[in-house]
Amino acid sequence: MSRPRKTHQTAPTKFVGRVGELRLNYARRDDRTFLAGSHCTTPWHLLPPIYLDEGNAAYTLLVNPSGGVVGGDRLSIDLRLDARAHVVISTPSANRVYRSLGELSVQDIRIYVGADAVLEWFPEHTIPFAGSRFRQTLHAELAPGATILLWDAIASGRITRGERWAFTDLENEIQITTASGGSIVERYVLDPTTDLGRVGLAGEWNYVASLYVVNDAVSSDVWNRLETKVAAILDKNPGQVLGGVSTPAVPGVAIKLLARTAPDFTHMLGDLWAVVREGLWNLPPVSLRKY
Amino acid sequence: MDTRALLEGLRFTDTFFPSGGYAFSSGLEAAVQGGAVKGADQLVRYVEDLLRGGMSRREVLAAKVANRAGSAEDLPAALEIDRALDSTKLSRESRLASRQMGRQVIKVAADQFRRKTVLRGYLDAVESDRTPSHLAVCFGLTLGSCGWTEEQTAAAFLYQTAVGFVSASMRLCPIGHREGQQVLGEWLPLIDRISREVTVGTPLSSWSPIQDIYAMRHSGLKWRLFRS
Repeated sequence: MSRPRKTHQTAPTKFVGRVGELRLNYARRDDRTFLAGSHCTTPWHLLPPIYLDEGNAAYTLLVNPSGGVVGGDRLSIDLRLDARAHVVISTPSANRVYRSLGELSVQDIRIYVGADAVLEWFPEHTIPFAGSRFRQTLHAELAPGATILLWDAIASGRITRGERWAFTDLENEIQITTASGGSIVERYVLDPTTDLGRVGLAGEWNYVASLYVVNDAVSSDVWNRLETKVAAILDKNPGQVLGGVSTPAVPGVAIKLLARTAPDFTHMLGDLWAVVREGLWNLPPVSLRKY
Repeated sequence: MDTRALLEGLRFTDTFFPSGGYAFSSGLEAAVQGGAVKGADQLVRYVEDLLRGGMSRREVLAAKVANRAGSAEDLPAALEIDRALDSTKLSRESRLASRQMGRQVIKVAADQFRRKTVLRGYLDAVESDRTPSHLAVCFGLTLGSCGWTEEQTAAAFLYQTAVGFVSASMRLCPIGHREGQQVLGEWLPLIDRISREVTVGTPLSSWSPIQDIYAMRHSGLKWRLFRS
């Protein structure tokens, strides 16, 4: 692992099921990526990877059978890809953050992507329930030639119940650091009861998402072509989806989008993922077989 | 603040200062063409939302940190906040605009205040591509060197930003000078509040997805008056 983590093996029973650790280490042998090491504690549940595409990527679902997090939960994920490994990560359903009258729900994710390895990180979105308190950090470190496709999305709440942007507080931090030390940082702190923490105009939308694609060995021509293709996709559904794409301070593209409905949001995710795969590797989209 | 310090700092906030800010709209042009801003009412909401959610805990915080670095002649702190700010600016046009305007500020400041070694050291770092020279950092460093407080620097930075939006909107929307002054006046209480409430010591953060998206979309506009 890129950094040793404090473990909770000696923690009292009150932490059982609330302080969950998941560690996954992938390696590559011949043409196939395999799970070389793993460890998990409740509530995480480990499923072995399956293989869905011609790139022989190891596709893994991160399974939390409880379906979400409650106040006081502290979940962590340590994900390591050795050199040349190719991994696709997703989750079976949205990450629900339940109401908390006290403690935060916390999820910390640390990722290391080895030299020339590829990580496609596409979890389902987070749904912060009314009164929920959630803090997530995701720090990804890339070795030379490593690629990350990182998708992160939130919904406004349980929209069909009319519950929108009603959480107590929500913090999210994404940091992607390349081998040269350059980085992308997205950090927001939403606390609707304060003047500076309001949701503001974004409250008119129901889904907010970011997609980052980074590789320090890919030429700027490739990123420029990808930017053009992504921009065309983002314009396909005006009024229902608002999106933008640009090249950040590290080699790659950064995409941000807002959507009004779940179908529009899901279709846009599929289209964006497909164009990135095609543009970088000439690979077809992955069918995740989630129904 | 004594009058000399006031006057020295005012030069850098004045629209007469050659930062090149008139060439940038910070995504407003894309928002106007996209229909998000059509007149004064929408401009007020759009910019207030950006100042509050997008810039308060990012650019304003960076300006305050840089102000402290300027006062204390702490070059490493200035370089660190500059790098941190660069990492958060995802839109290429906005990032480059901020760097370019910052470079103009620090060039003049380092030339004018030669006794301030932090300004010369920072300019050396800019000219050797060791730091990106974002406007908020250069502005904070300069006003800190002039003797302005963190709050005064934050307020001046926000005011300058607000003036830039009004100026751009007058070329993009049916907004006249008098209405522009009215809009500016409406923003003053918010500027005052942000300048006081943002506290040094927290990480940079930002939430303005709509304005971020329009800033990204600007480069794809078919016709453009502005460079961002």
